Amino acid sequence: MDARIRHALFAAAALALVPTVLAAQDVLTGHVTGEGGAPLPNATVYIQNTRLGGIAGSDGAYRIVLPSGEAGQTVTVIARLIGYRERSQIAKLTQGTNTLDFALEVAPVQLQGVITVAEGQQVKKSQLGTSAQAVSNEQLTQSPNNNFVEQLGAKVAGVQVTSPGTQGGSVAIRIRGSASITGNNEPLYVIDGVAIPTRDRGSDANGGWDFGSTISDINADDISSITVLKGPNAAALYGSEAANGAVIITTKHGANTDGKIQTHLNTSYSFDKVGILPDFQNLYGQGAGGQFSYVDGLGDGIQDGNDQSFGPRLDGRPIDQFTGAQQPWIAHPDNVSSFFNTGGTFEANLAVDGGSEKSNARMAVGVQNQSGIVPNNFFHKWTSSLAGNLKIGDKFTTTASLQFLRNNGLNRAGVGYNAGILEGLDVWFGRQVDMNQLRQHYMDYNQFGNRYNWNSNYHSNPFFLQYMNPESDTRNQYIGSVSATYRITDWLSATGRAGGDIFNAQSQQDVASGNVSWAGAGLEDLAYQGAFNFYNESQTDYSTEGLLNATKDLTSRLQLNALAAVGEHQANYHRNQQQTQGISVPNIYNISNAAISPTLTQFDEKDQTNSVFGSASLTWDNWWTIEGTARNDWSSTLPKGKNSYFYPSVNTSMVLTDALPSLKSNVLTFLKLRGSIAKVGNTAPAYSLLTTFDGQSTKFGGQPLYTLDDALANSELKPEITRANEVGFELGLFGDRATVDASYYSRATTNQIINVPVSPTSGFQDKWINAGKITNKGYEASLNVTPVRALGGDFEWNTTFTFNKNNSRVDALTNDVQTIVLGGSWYLTEEARKGQPYGALYGYQFLRDPTTHQLLLHDGLPQLGPQAVLGTVQPDWTGGWNNEFRYKRLTVSGLLDIHEGGSIFSVTNFFGEYTGVLASTIHGRDKDWNDPGLVIKGIDDATGQANTTVVTAEEYFQSLFPIHEPFIYRDSYLKLREVRLSLDVPPNLTSLLHASQVQIALFGRNLWTSTKVPNIDPEFSTQTGNFQGVEFASLANPKSFGIQLQVTP
Amino acid sequence: MQKRIVSAVAGCVVMLAAMACDNSHITALNNNPNNPTDAPAGAVFTFAAQTAAHWVGNGRDLRATEFVAQHVAEVQYPDEDRYSRLQGPSTTSYFDDAYFQELQDLRKVIAKGQSEGNPAIWGPATVLQIWVFENLTDIWGDIPYSQALGGDSTGGTLTPAYDKQQDIYTSFFSRLADAVAAMESTDSAGLGGADPIYSGDLTKWVKFANSLRARLAMRIVNVDPGTASTQLAAALSDPGGVFASNDDDAKMPWPGDGVYDNPWADNFKTRDDHRMSKTLMNEMVPFDDPRVPVYAQPVLDSTFYPNGYGGMPNGLNADTAGTWFNVASRPGVIFYPGATSYGTFGDGSGLHLPTYLMTYGEVMFIKAEAAERSMGGLSPAEAATDYYAGIQASMDRWGVTDAAAIAAFEAKSGVAYTPGIPAGLNEIAIQKYVALFGDGTQAWAEWRRTCQPVTVHAGPNAIVSFVPRRFEYSQTEYSVNAANVATALSQMGGADNFATRMWWDSNPTAAPTHTAACNEPTGP
Repeated sequence: MDARIRHALFAAAALALVPTVLAAQDVLTGHVTGEGGAPLPNATVYIQNTRLGGIAGSDGAYRIVLPSGEAGQTVTVIARLIGYRERSQIAKLTQGTNTLDFALEVAPVQLQGVITVAEGQQVKKSQLGTSAQAVSNEQLTQSPNNNFVEQLGAKVAGVQVTSPGTQGGSVAIRIRGSASITGNNEPLYVIDGVAIPTRDRGSDANGGWDFGSTISDINADDISSITVLKGPNAAALYGSEAANGAVIITTKHGANTDGKIQTHLNTSYSFDKVGILPDFQNLYGQGAGGQFSYVDGLGDGIQDGNDQSFGPRLDGRPIDQFTGAQQPWIAHPDNVSSFFNTGGTFEANLAVDGGSEKSNARMAVGVQNQSGIVPNNFFHKWTSSLAGNLKIGDKFTTTASLQFLRNNGLNRAGVGYNAGILEGLDVWFGRQVDMNQLRQHYMDYNQFGNRYNWNSNYHSNPFFLQYMNPESDTRNQYIGSVSATYRITDWLSATGRAGGDIFNAQSQQDVASGNVSWAGAGLEDLAYQGAFNFYNESQTDYSTEGLLNATKDLTSRLQLNALAAVGEHQANYHRNQQQTQGISVPNIYNISNAAISPTLTQFDEKDQTNSVFGSASLTWDNWWTIEGTARNDWSSTLPKGKNSYFYPSVNTSMVLTDALPSLKSNVLTFLKLRGSIAKVGNTAPAYSLLTTFDGQSTKFGGQPLYTLDDALANSELKPEITRANEVGFELGLFGDRATVDASYYSRATTNQIINVPVSPTSGFQDKWINAGKITNKGYEASLNVTPVRALGGDFEWNTTFTFNKNNSRVDALTNDVQTIVLGGSWYLTEEARKGQPYGALYGYQFLRDPTTHQLLLHDGLPQLGPQAVLGTVQPDWTGGWNNEFRYKRLTVSGLLDIHEGGSIFSVTNFFGEYTGVLASTIHGRDKDWNDPGLVIKGIDDATGQANTTVVTAEEYFQSLFPIHEPFIYRDSYLKLREVRLSLDVPPNLTSLLHASQVQIALFGRNLWTSTKVPNIDPEFSTQTGNFQGVEFASLANPKSFGIQLQVTP
Repeated sequence: MQKRIVSAVAGCVVMLAAMACDNSHITALNNNPNNPTDAPAGAVFTFAAQTAAHWVGNGRDLRATEFVAQHVAEVQYPDEDRYSRLQGPSTTSYFDDAYFQELQDLRKVIAKGQSEGNPAIWGPATVLQIWVFENLTDIWGDIPYSQALGGDSTGGTLTPAYDKQQDIYTSFFSRLADAVAAMESTDSAGLGGADPIYSGDLTKWVKFANSLRARLAMRIVNVDPGTASTQLAAALSDPGGVFASNDDDAKMPWPGDGVYDNPWADNFKTRDDHRMSKTLMNEMVPFDDPRVPVYAQPVLDSTFYPNGYGGMPNGLNADTAGTWFNVASRPGVIFYPGATSYGTFGDGSGLHLPTYLMTYGEVMFIKAEAAERSMGGLSPAEAATDYYAGIQASMDRWGVTDAAAIAAFEAKSGVAYTPGIPAGLNEIAIQKYVALFGDGTQAWAEWRRTCQPVTVHAGPNAIVSFVPRRFEYSQTEYSVNAANVATALSQMGGADNFATRMWWDSNPTAAPTHTAACNEPTGP
């Protein structure tokens, strides 16, 4: 096809140029190259507002003969190619030969053009029998954001992304649903051909710090393009870990600039404001039974040990408070919100690149400094990268890239019950508490001689926590790869590649003397003056691969592409932890200062996979392609002699508009059908074959301790198998002004290696077995339309819509097991339950009268009923809608995220009602703490009659514990994720900066959310793992507003 | 030239492939470097013993059965005291953990001892395992026993059946007898320092086994008096004997090093939820019981208790419970870790305070009751001696040395022994209940058997109007062993709730101490 189009276009261009060819001698010439300096044949180069143009040849060279009179003009020259971002340069034409080179960046591929499916393997998208979608650098860096993974959500169909509940936290990503019951459901990440693991450094709703996953550290500015391979069909060659799809990242390696050095700058600053906070009541203060009087915040006053807000009405009456005797009892409606600051994020990315025909390189540094929205919190990120290509002779090409990534945080906001301030603020905080007093006096004592704190029974002053109990963390990551390709003949090449990823992370929690919630650290006169917890982990991953690549035209109409390869992957993991509940000398957080024998833990893990894999594809007449792939893995973690597993795949694609040219019309310009069947195997976790005894570092009166592990190992484990099918079509209408890419897929993972719960009475909590089946079926589509292109191209409206609908079902577990618990919080569990979608929320209902289904009440109060499936975390569907309006150099764009359905359990609401801080708990105490009271609708369990017993709001809301039913919410929301207004600086100013493009933009993120879920941000993620759908005191995504400057040479 | 390169490359690839094919050796990487597949019996026993001792401690006892027994009451967030946080979900881990933690570890020690033919190892492990199983069945009724813990053995099941409590008790008796016989006839070296309870002294393990056998025998007296009498006789007449002094007590001495602390003291480090129960204090304060200042601290606000000591009612709402914060006594300072997050209480010796698994004093009360009932070869004439010996043992245990005060207390009407049934039995039961402070599981079981004190009633805001007769089964079991749970419930003849009575509790009217007050409404 290429050749034919090229010839046709050449002919057209030649015709257009006929008159000028005869008349003039001046020429404009140069090369058009892509990533790494590769020539881009077929690129069109033309001079704006003229009919002058040319097409690049197979070496990327173009030549435009200029008519007389053009010399001396300043013109805009534009280069474009499908699949690449259009590029314009300003040139002052002179007589004779003018040289102007273009280096084009990959742009999102709609239908045609090339797409990277593996390092060095760019295939024509029209020949791809599986579903893959590309995301360009431009799409990733338009709106500065901490995390490129987050950007994939609304931009790639079939990808569901959940943003983190705290700054720098985990982004959970699922491509076509979750297939593994208890294993990894994250996709595989491949950077410049080297697979690197992503590590969940998250927390869960039960408490901890969410450090985010390591993959998120990669700087979006260093990424040239991303290809998302959806599901096992596209990713079979990548092996086991790609059963959940693969994200193929190609980093920038510099371009051929004829030796010139180019400098890129992308910098921004944004203001961050706290997002959604609960809707608090402001009628009642701290206490219980309408009573409160402060003595020491420990219970010695009247209800002053109580940390709930069922106290006296906030009517200004004088009451002893922590701020002094007989203080007016008034609401502080903004007390929680005033805890937060306006945060700021500064980001700067500077890159230099350049090259010649033989070599090119790029070096970049990126800095991100974030001062958080909670006090004494910052987050610092540093990225640096060096990458380049070198051609030695005309047969030997080498490429290398190295990235060093570092980030450190101080006082990340903890999530959940045990790790920080947010649970205290969101659900346990007296409504009368004056936050400013706490802020000013967090190291002081009040006139009663007690710590200046609203409650000393369960809570420390939140400022004390932030300033005296710092959490700090650092992580370093090195990602590098080298590869060399030798072109043996014009159709055969050999490549060797080695790469690795080295990672280490430390985190530390210091606990100062005076913190109420750590043992022995409560008062200053103690033997123990604080506590600490140090955590270190490191991992190295190495991969080596040898590949043979063949591309040959077998006949004039039949083309062969083949690959044969061997590979090896090794991983070494190490973790250690030191913690103590008591130190001797205050403020020295060192293991030698431990007053209580520190608890030490250590864990090491090694595993290795060896592989042989290959693929072959045949293309007939440029329109029909059939490809087969096969891979065999040997894993170190399976039983000896039974550690080998094989998996093949086959796919095909047909471009019907090429096969049957008569189909083509002004309306239908492109139609492709595709289909694929694939199988992927997966191995067992390390050390799951033999049951062991676990030792303890702390001795019992000097005696060593060992206990049998609670997980029963299984020496018979077999690999698990995922089978997947997909069909899809790609459609281009009206000259590709409207394109549709849609797929239907199904995948089922059987023989899963799961740590299935067994009866604890068997002496074990769980056992490793092969069992279970999960099926995911769904549709995904992306639609790109340019509805309006007017005013001679000056005005354009582009709209894109992505849509995912995934139905998951747990088809089978084992004979004995109906459900597997994935995680739990406050007696509610998230489960893989037979017959239900993956991620069923299983919790307690109200007790109901079996005949009328009304609540069965005891003394006027609801009762705990049976457990049931109360919802699923799987959404009905998700989508993204992006609109971009461009008028000349002004562009306005907006991205909406749509999440429809699925359920969440909100612990913030569950406890917020229990404690009476939420506005919803005013109900029943409208006049006074027990007036008018509530008559709950239901049947009295003693009389069998309608209930008439009046209860107080306090009694009612506290009787709901631990009934989950009222706190399960349908998780539908609409979010304005991004808004952006950008202006391209006029060319004459741009050229002063020796730049091709200078853009200034204003942007906003998370500015608006529409949801019916009360009191919380309905989108939260605290880890990348399988325990999702339970929210507690997550810090809502901050609202950001900022300005960005991008300079492109 | 080109062909040679092609073949060289092809050769390399074949070589690499061949290397990749020799892939069995990589499984050697899967040898676990962190944890062994076998461990010394002593290290496993030590771990199991300290885990087991937590029964009488933090979660299962202090925050569960001690409230039910009404030794203590809850002054803040009284969800346990209202029984709402004693429902299935909350107590699941107490049931589950016992099996896969201490019971499984003890099974491993028993297996190791048996394979070495060493009763000095398997004997103590057996006695301790039965002690744990007894706590389990006395809380839940029918439980997995004969098929339990075999998940990793050939032919073992992952879904053990629930044995009838009666069968479990029968097995307890015979296993204890076997362990005693074997321990009495061995010269093998014991566990030594790895045994934190008796430092490997087998004569004391024999006494513990016989004493436990006596406790079990008396527990079933209402439903199987014949077996009770036979087993009592066997236990009391065994040459190894039962506990003969407080030195024989089965107790876990806590290192108190900040890691392994007494579980009550550990709980009290950051939580100030406990106050003495009015029920217990009313059996002590009016009689000038000299243990009062040991068990309890003086009230901070003497509005209700001008004499300085008193308890609060059980089962109140949060708002009413909170009003008792300073007007009811905290537990005694000997139970406290010294410094806590809410103040300093005592000198920190509470961190070392041993946890008692079974005491000489309890054995004396069992003997007194047996004597009064003319069981186990004893006669009523001995009852008073044993009764006073039980009281004295308790006084000694808690460090009460004022002989005059003890004598005055023992002379009080209601304490001074009144021979006969039911008067004597009631007094024995009351004094046993008082002496069992710190062991809520036993106190609750004894209340169900004897209905003493009769003042134990569900609190005004309890979620049921009666004192639970058992706890609800583990939620885990419903998801992974449901058929056997269903069978267990039909075996016990009731629903899985607080009301269903277990075998030894199924004939309350057989108790000579039975009163109508104990025949409370059964069930929601």
